Amino acid sequence: MAKMIIDGHEIQAKAGATVLEEARRLKIEIPTLCYHKDLSSFGACRLCTVEIKVKGKWRLAASCQTEAEEGLEVRTDTDAVRASRKLAAELLYFRYPETAAVREIAAKLGVDVREAAEESHDCILCGLCTRTCHEIVGANALNFKDRGLGREIEEPKIEFSPAACIGCGSCAYVCPTGFVRMESVNGKRIIWDKVFKMASCEVCGRHFAPVEQLEFISRTTGVPIRSLMTCVSCR
Amino acid sequence: MNKVAFSSWNGKIIDNRSPAKGKKKAREEATGAFPATLDGYSYDALMGWNGLVVFDPKADVPALTLAYIAEARKLSCGECSVCMIGIDRVREILLDMRAGKGGAKDLAEIEEIVKGVMVNSKCNFGRATALTPVLDAVKHFKAAFLEAGKGEKDAPGEYRSAVTAPCMEACPATLDIPGYIELIRNNKFKESLDLIRERCILPGVIGRACTHPCEAACVRKDMDGPLAIRLLKRAAADAELREGSALPAPGEEKKEKVAIIGAGPAGLAAAYNLRLMGYGVTIFEALPKAGGMASVGIPDYRLPKDVLNHEIDLIKRMGVDIRLNSKVEALSVADFQKQGYAAVFAAIGAHVGTRIGCKGEEVVSEDVLQGAEFLRGVSLGKKVVPVDKVAIIGGGNVALDCARNCIRLGFKDVEIVYRRSRAEMPGSDQEIEEALHEGVKITYLAAPVEIVRKAGKVTAIECVKMKLGEPDESGRKRPIPVKGSEFTLKTDMVIAATGQKPDLGLLSAKEKGSLATAWGTIKADAASSSTETTRLFAGGDCVTGPATLIEALNAGNKAAKSIAAYLRGEPFVDEPSFEGIDVHQQRDMGFVPPAPVGKVELLDVAERIGSFAEVEGGFDADAAMKEAQRCLRCYRLMVWQ
Repeated sequence: MAKMIIDGHEIQAKAGATVLEEARRLKIEIPTLCYHKDLSSFGACRLCTVEIKVKGKWRLAASCQTEAEEGLEVRTDTDAVRASRKLAAELLYFRYPETAAVREIAAKLGVDVREAAEESHDCILCGLCTRTCHEIVGANALNFKDRGLGREIEEPKIEFSPAACIGCGSCAYVCPTGFVRMESVNGKRIIWDKVFKMASCEVCGRHFAPVEQLEFISRTTGVPIRSLMTCVSCR
Repeated sequence: MNKVAFSSWNGKIIDNRSPAKGKKKAREEATGAFPATLDGYSYDALMGWNGLVVFDPKADVPALTLAYIAEARKLSCGECSVCMIGIDRVREILLDMRAGKGGAKDLAEIEEIVKGVMVNSKCNFGRATALTPVLDAVKHFKAAFLEAGKGEKDAPGEYRSAVTAPCMEACPATLDIPGYIELIRNNKFKESLDLIRERCILPGVIGRACTHPCEAACVRKDMDGPLAIRLLKRAAADAELREGSALPAPGEEKKEKVAIIGAGPAGLAAAYNLRLMGYGVTIFEALPKAGGMASVGIPDYRLPKDVLNHEIDLIKRMGVDIRLNSKVEALSVADFQKQGYAAVFAAIGAHVGTRIGCKGEEVVSEDVLQGAEFLRGVSLGKKVVPVDKVAIIGGGNVALDCARNCIRLGFKDVEIVYRRSRAEMPGSDQEIEEALHEGVKITYLAAPVEIVRKAGKVTAIECVKMKLGEPDESGRKRPIPVKGSEFTLKTDMVIAATGQKPDLGLLSAKEKGSLATAWGTIKADAASSSTETTRLFAGGDCVTGPATLIEALNAGNKAAKSIAAYLRGEPFVDEPSFEGIDVHQQRDMGFVPPAPVGKVELLDVAERIGSFAEVEGGFDADAAMKEAQRCLRCYRLMVWQ
């Protein structure tokens, strides 16, 4: 436990908790696009900025990446914080003007959001899908393709490794913009342009999971594949 | 072209553009830091991570700004929104202004964006390099930006650029450290290793045995500890050991062949790079094993030999011919030429121990050994009969390696005698700590005066206590004997590990005149490795004296480039240098959330003694990716025009 102050409230923070988590526990609203409570924090969207006191000086910090510690003082609603969040939102809106999730959060943060001609579903590089695939699923099919020295990459993007993907769909579930799409047609699942054969439940016959996913579960848990051929409802 | 018209370097504004403001003193202060030409290219102005420096008041600062942004854009990784998009937004506004659509309002917007990026970016690239000098430019060259739209000049015109980082500058081989760490962070271990191999062909070796000066230069060092850069390199190499890979195929076969003397890090690196360019390469190695000091200097518990042998095998598979047990007795470029070698690279290392300088040392006996000779013997499988007590003279890694070998070989009492104190000890802290854990004793501030023998057997060394005086030319405090403080240290064996020099026996007396230095090393140009003998190049420990593996390896990298340039009949061009520019300087880092350094397991002390098993564990993939997240990506960019 660590005693700390957020917006004047003295609280007992949980060991290892972040400032973002503690602020949200206090029902303080902090905007985020790249945060998920079950994933490691990534600090990509720069919207959760707060001010913390470091050696007597107020400094901006990403609350999702700052751990609560004894004596920490935090302010979440100052001019500097608001301006910083607004600028980050403005930049996101500049780049992704037709993406609903961005438009919504930008409008909330005071950006002048104009009507969009149409809706698009851009990848905003929040890293929720890469972290889900690595940390929760363990398949490692999604990785950042970043720019860097000598790499000559025009636009950074998420790189998809078809051989590693098991078609579980977790990335589509967690994607905030609808960029990752998952479609089901005729007993097949299509995700990241890879087509997966679906297994049918031995009891009810319903297509319930990609065969490759069941194989992956069997491989990583040691449970024989035959025991996995029944859907959740029939088990 | 050496007077500064304007400078904002490191946040200090010097403005000499209007004579009324100009102060002579300031003018002088700002001139020294930057050379008149950079990379052989004279320039009017430069922009870097730490500011804008204008020499010619007529320099086109808006064009330079666009050039800078174009280069910064290539480096901005894209993982946080403000840096990547901020750069693009500023670029768009500037291009609009250049096209005549813009005004003072736009400059104000640029200022706002740049400030926002500087305080809110995730890493140090966004906080310093991405846009810092752009802010200075729009603040102090407003009129130029507002007028830029009236001209018809195309932006940005011809310019030069260079990139480094504090860790890269500290690395003797200038590895792209933030680059390979970033690839690990993104789970691209194979790509990371490919990048490492561009400048370090022994990644598993260097990832274990490097002295890692990069870590001392890491910006995180004074916050929560430097990145574990060496161990991350090892993680990339270990992933390859598990999964296997091949080196790139050699380029188009060239007709020339090159002879390399010595299969140590310098020789192997030169061989790899020359082979990659398509040259035929033969390495002549005196010992029965390849690897040089990596093979016969660094013990197995620090560097398992299967790691080294695997990396040597990959080089052999490219078509490099390594001939073991092939000592070159007399170095004759003409003879090599007759055998079809167009150039010779001498990389013979420094394997001969130097004398301690005490009485009784001149008597040859089996119980007085040289450190390098002892380590070589152990590595080559020579039987060592442990005695009760051994005294090792010296304070470097060779002394520590000898001591830790003795512990493993069953010597009962192992004592290092060093003439200065722990603070001056050149051995790495990690090795000193590990040696102490294993039971090695270290006596500081003492030096041997005489080796005492009875019936031809060593029984003791007479020592004298030392005190520290003023620093000597090496910068370390000079040890001074304390009169009357003599004492006797009983011992059965003495190992002298006080330094090494190359064996220049392959040079004739006449050649020594032009090729040897007063210190017994080979005289060669530090950058091009060329010697006074045409077609003969030299590098590594035989030129520098005993140095680190990575320094020798880089000497091999450079020699390969230089030899290739010579064979093509072109001049050798060294890489642009940031020398004289403090790459650590940065105006404001902002707040960096603390994250502790990733730790690896060390082998239990009980298991170390009596075994040569590797002491230090490595990161697994997850731990490596987590540690890589800590990198602040302190790329320093400079653009000049």
